[in-house]
Amino acid sequence: MQLTREKLIPYGTAAALIIAVAIPFLTDNMFIVNLAVLMLISIIFASAWNLLAYSGQGSLGHAAFFGIGAYGSTLIAAKLGITPFITIFLGAAVAAFIGILIGLTCVRLKEWFLAMVTFGFAIIVQTLTVSVLAPMTGGWDGIPSPRLVSPSIPGYQLIEYYAILLITIAAIAAIWYIMKSRIGLAFLAIRENETEARAAGIDPVRYRLLAFALSAFIAGVAGALQIHHIGYITPELYGVDNSFWPITYVILGGLGTLAGPVIGTVVLTILWEGLKATGITFARYVVIGVILILTIIFLPRGLVSLPEQVQEWIKRRKQKEPVTEAAAE
Amino acid sequence: MDNLSVFLQILFWGLYAGCIYILLATGLNLIFGVMKVVNFAHGEFLMIGAYITATVFFLTGFNPYVILLLSMVALVGIGAVVERLCFRPILGTGKLNEIFLSIGLIYIFQNGAAMIWGDAWQSVKSPYDGITIPIGSLSVPLDYIIIMVVTAVILSGLYLFLKKTTLGMQMRATSQNRKGAMLVGINVERIDIISFGLGCALAAAAGTLWVVSGQVFNPYMGSIPAVKAFAIIILGGLGSIPGAIIGGLLMGLAENGAAFLLGGIWKDAVSFIILIVVLIFRPTGLFGGKEG
Repeated sequence: MQLTREKLIPYGTAAALIIAVAIPFLTDNMFIVNLAVLMLISIIFASAWNLLAYSGQGSLGHAAFFGIGAYGSTLIAAKLGITPFITIFLGAAVAAFIGILIGLTCVRLKEWFLAMVTFGFAIIVQTLTVSVLAPMTGGWDGIPSPRLVSPSIPGYQLIEYYAILLITIAAIAAIWYIMKSRIGLAFLAIRENETEARAAGIDPVRYRLLAFALSAFIAGVAGALQIHHIGYITPELYGVDNSFWPITYVILGGLGTLAGPVIGTVVLTILWEGLKATGITFARYVVIGVILILTIIFLPRGLVSLPEQVQEWIKRRKQKEPVTEAAAE
Repeated sequence: MDNLSVFLQILFWGLYAGCIYILLATGLNLIFGVMKVVNFAHGEFLMIGAYITATVFFLTGFNPYVILLLSMVALVGIGAVVERLCFRPILGTGKLNEIFLSIGLIYIFQNGAAMIWGDAWQSVKSPYDGITIPIGSLSVPLDYIIIMVVTAVILSGLYLFLKKTTLGMQMRATSQNRKGAMLVGINVERIDIISFGLGCALAAAAGTLWVVSGQVFNPYMGSIPAVKAFAIIILGGLGSIPGAIIGGLLMGLAENGAAFLLGGIWKDAVSFIILIVVLIFRPTGLFGGKEG
């Protein structure tokens, strides 16, 4: 039986949706539901990073947009008393605006110069948050953030879970639509060969900025959701760790694919929590690091390419076997 | 203190901080020059070098400036293993891939170190701690002067090695034209592994100097100096060792100036602000040519 990717997509999508909807029915344990919420948020964040990488731009400071979305949404919600369901998009719009500004400095840069600039940018934003902006942001101590769904409502955790699930599905659908549209084709063209893209009438600067804005917006939504879920915000959000996680998820799952960030996040989160149960602390990161390096070297297209890779390995094995038998004789 | 001595004090701190950045940036430049690899995990080698020096110092009590050599030799070995196992298989698959791989290395080294040495901040007291030498109106710690001398010696040694020895010339040849070097019979893979090891040894030297100057260290200390070293080589021009020296000194001065004028919190941010401002006006770096 041939397990092609085309056949797997509809089944996989359906299975993922059914499991996602059913999780709260399968368990009464609110710890697992909470974990699922954080997993969904990570999926949005990783997908946002993936969209920027799809246009050939690798960011090492996506925590900046995650954090700006979170702070933007929190401050707007707290100051104006608007429901977080609206402010998450306003905060994300702030992140998108800042994303365009940083994108403007980056569009002319080589891919890895851009990586350094984005990394530095996250540190600059963190410094601003705890120094100049401290009267607003509470400095290192942080400030409380309005909850997405008030804990006084019965079953608020379930409402929150399904709300975040809906937003996740909407985000992935939007990214799917962008990737399939002319915009996505333009991203691809620029990534593969900028000169040819130019010749075909694609303006690389405009599309790069668009990728930055879209990716920052979606990352901002993820950040705002996380902070309204937890109910408290601190500048730790801008940490290097937070910039590296989406990269790890996407590389493991499969760079530049729609399913990659989802699969990578789910697999790594389950692994991460599983390792936590064994009581190890620092070694968890070592395991993640080893998996990341092995993936890059041996499975460069990520877990989404695993079915094809396995078939290839089997095929190669079958071809080899007669040779070794002959040699043995 | 009057204004002049404050200025001189900042200048001196800047020079000393610059020495550590220069060693780190020169190592990166060597690796980038020969292999064209972006080793984003370079700061982790600084951290390992710092821990090796500190551990041997705690165990034996030898002079840490002597342990520097041991630390450098150890890092040549570690660097060679990392090059062979991690970077060689993905050579030529793109700069971003190298950065992603480095993230894996960062996870492994930082947390491996935390498993061995714990994640608390530590510090080492140099045997010359507390000795100061009066220069004009300033009293300069003896350690700072030794650090500058050690850096100058290491850089001169590297310069002579690259200019005068056969191996050094082979490295420069590989750096200038990899295919040409292969054509004239240079084993470029051997040169790769040596360059990577040497670059890591320079990071170990930087780590040792970090430790003996009395600065605190922990397993997560390496990332930010490494990215600053990248900022320095972007500013100073890729593959240019004089550029790295000038860039490193400027970065040290700017940082300490900013820490004094704006407060310590700005120390890290200011180097990236400089990087971004420079790149807005010169996307290939201050002295960068077409190679960038």
